[in-house]
Amino acid sequence: MPNWQELVRERLSGLALNPAEREEVHAELAAHLEESYEALVKKGVNQQAAVQRALSQVSNWQDLGRRIQAARTKENIMNDRVRQLWLPGFVTFLLSTSLLALFEVFGAEPPVLVKVGQLPTVMFFIPWLLSLPLVGALGAYLSHRAGGTQRAIFSSILFPVLPFLASILLVLPVSLIFDRFIGHNVAPISLVMALPGWVLAPGVALIAGGLPIQFLRSRRLDTRRTASS
Amino acid sequence: MIGSGIKRGTAELAVLSVLQDGPLHGYELARRIEQQTNGALRFTLAALYPMLYRMEQQRWIRGTWETSANGRKRRCYRLTPAGKKKLSPLQREWEELFRALQRLTKVAHA
Repeated sequence: MPNWQELVRERLSGLALNPAEREEVHAELAAHLEESYEALVKKGVNQQAAVQRALSQVSNWQDLGRRIQAARTKENIMNDRVRQLWLPGFVTFLLSTSLLALFEVFGAEPPVLVKVGQLPTVMFFIPWLLSLPLVGALGAYLSHRAGGTQRAIFSSILFPVLPFLASILLVLPVSLIFDRFIGHNVAPISLVMALPGWVLAPGVALIAGGLPIQFLRSRRLDTRRTASS
Repeated sequence: MIGSGIKRGTAELAVLSVLQDGPLHGYELARRIEQQTNGALRFTLAALYPMLYRMEQQRWIRGTWETSANGRKRRCYRLTPAGKKKLSPLQREWEELFRALQRLTKVAHA
């Protein structure tokens, strides 16, 4: 019986992977060839013919090497999660923050201020909020087009407010702990009051744009399915 | 001629479906597919491993080295939660495609 590992190593010597990974591929393919060979011998094929038939599974080793390399190289693959969640999420986040900056720089309207009793003021950037349904719709469209699940689509719609929510949730406990020790600490109540203007209202605006798109596209898909069944 | 997209789709569906029953190493996986499809689907080594590695990168399957009862080391593949999630829509799509093709051929023969 030939040394299968050596045989594979010779034929796939140009595999541009790190040494450990290359050895792993060699070992795995060698094991497969060995089992193919043994099965053929068990069936009564003579040893030399069995070696030839096992090796005939690969007509072009160079091509196999190229395909293995492409499959194992992480940079070549934009996986589903990136296409269905991260990419739409970053696009919508970038767009929403750019719009906010634009409205702040060029927008004539000042933010609407809401004051409830002694509580800190809540700010609403109305032109920005009005633009967010479009951003939500874009997030839903991009994620849906990439084959995203309901959860991925929903996360893509809400992605622009998640960093705001995360920062508030992160800073809140810190400010609660250090409130008494730091003179210029952000008051915890101000952080809580930032939620409506930076998370809740934008979230509702994003969903208002994103959900109809998600609904329309899944209905179109259902109609297509019904038509085909 | 069957396009590469369709070929890849059927191959992925076959691998995910077979791995649903439990972890298998590459050779056994190919043998099981051939057996369960009465030889209609056959995977050579050259076709199988680039696909397995690609599916592993997509995190639909995960390969780990295991030692069998006879002391041989084999890389066993198992379905990941993402792979399980991928399987049902894939099965539905293929069922729809086959139903559509069946209807089409019936119409053509009528």
